[in-house]
Amino acid sequence: MMPSGPARFAEAIVGFFVPPACREEVVGDLHERYRSPLQYVIEALFTVPLVIVSRIRRTADVQIVAMQGCALYMSFLGAAWLGGGAVFREPWSILRLALPGAMVLAGVILDDAYARPGVRLALQLARGPFIGNAIALACQAMLWGGHSAVAIPPPIAFSGCAMSLLFSSGIRLLFPPLREQPLGATAPAFWLKRGAVADENSRGLLTFVKVFAVVLALAALAAWILDGSLRQKAGFTILLVAVVALYTAVNRA
Amino acid sequence: MTRSDSLGQFEQLVLTAILSLRENAYGVTIHSKVEELARPKSVALGAVYVTLDRLEDKGLVASWLSDPTPERGGRSKRCYRLEALGERALQESAVTAKRIWDVIKDTWGDETAKEWGKRWGKETG
Repeated sequence: MMPSGPARFAEAIVGFFVPPACREEVVGDLHERYRSPLQYVIEALFTVPLVIVSRIRRTADVQIVAMQGCALYMSFLGAAWLGGGAVFREPWSILRLALPGAMVLAGVILDDAYARPGVRLALQLARGPFIGNAIALACQAMLWGGHSAVAIPPPIAFSGCAMSLLFSSGIRLLFPPLREQPLGATAPAFWLKRGAVADENSRGLLTFVKVFAVVLALAALAAWILDGSLRQKAGFTILLVAVVALYTAVNRA
Repeated sequence: MTRSDSLGQFEQLVLTAILSLRENAYGVTIHSKVEELARPKSVALGAVYVTLDRLEDKGLVASWLSDPTPERGGRSKRCYRLEALGERALQESAVTAKRIWDVIKDTWGDETAKEWGKRWGKETG
């Protein structure tokens, strides 16, 4: 006799990886298409990653992600700067400081994708940055053990994580994540309307921020070329990242 | 249309599948229909989900959850239907495809067009 459906534990594993917002239909469709355990596993392996990517595309707002990325990077740059700036003399310091921020950002994006549909409490918005920071610290702890040349010093990692938790949670409170895109036939018109209003209100401010960002970028470049002091270089870089974050915030608002 | 988005080939296939399936358009049936339309290419179920999400975001289709059924392990289906924008977009795509076909016929003649039709018919079963 042919089995009528996949094993419960197989379905539970697949269900665990599928974001809750689309779990019901995806797991149901895979159940309906079940022919053999191997076919189920292969089909799930090819389907679930695409479902996750699609969910991320629906829940992540590019501007907010960019803003959060800037804020997170700024947190670790700022922590290094406040820590005396010695880390900037080490090789690849700018890239190494970006690594924990990228991990926190990944945590935030995945938390949004896996959030249950419906209104979330303000405290729940801090869950993503919190998980991301925990992952970033765990990775740094592993690097401290074996590959300390790639890791950032512990005091910078801890203070950077604290600052990133503060910044990232603040941004999420100000700009709550998209739980569902507006659906239905009127959606495109609604988006266009929303975009037009934002453009009218903030055009002047956006131009000012753009010009300021260009001036800062040139100043940062000049500081690096003319071999300015470490504090000068770090100061310009942090200010530049802050302006880019401000730009995305204004653009978003 | 309020937006001048043109449809990709896969989006056209998915919209056509939803149109033909009417009330019975959900993940599994849409995937089967799209595979039938896209012969001899095979189509991944995940690709259909991604496209359905994108079409829903564009406002071309709408979806809702049906009642749970036993053959799906007591889970609901997400059913889809075409919105007015989707119908319009599909119409535009069909008209464009017809124009392309007419140009091919005019340029290479009816015989070549018939031969093409036969060859593709054989290859796709």
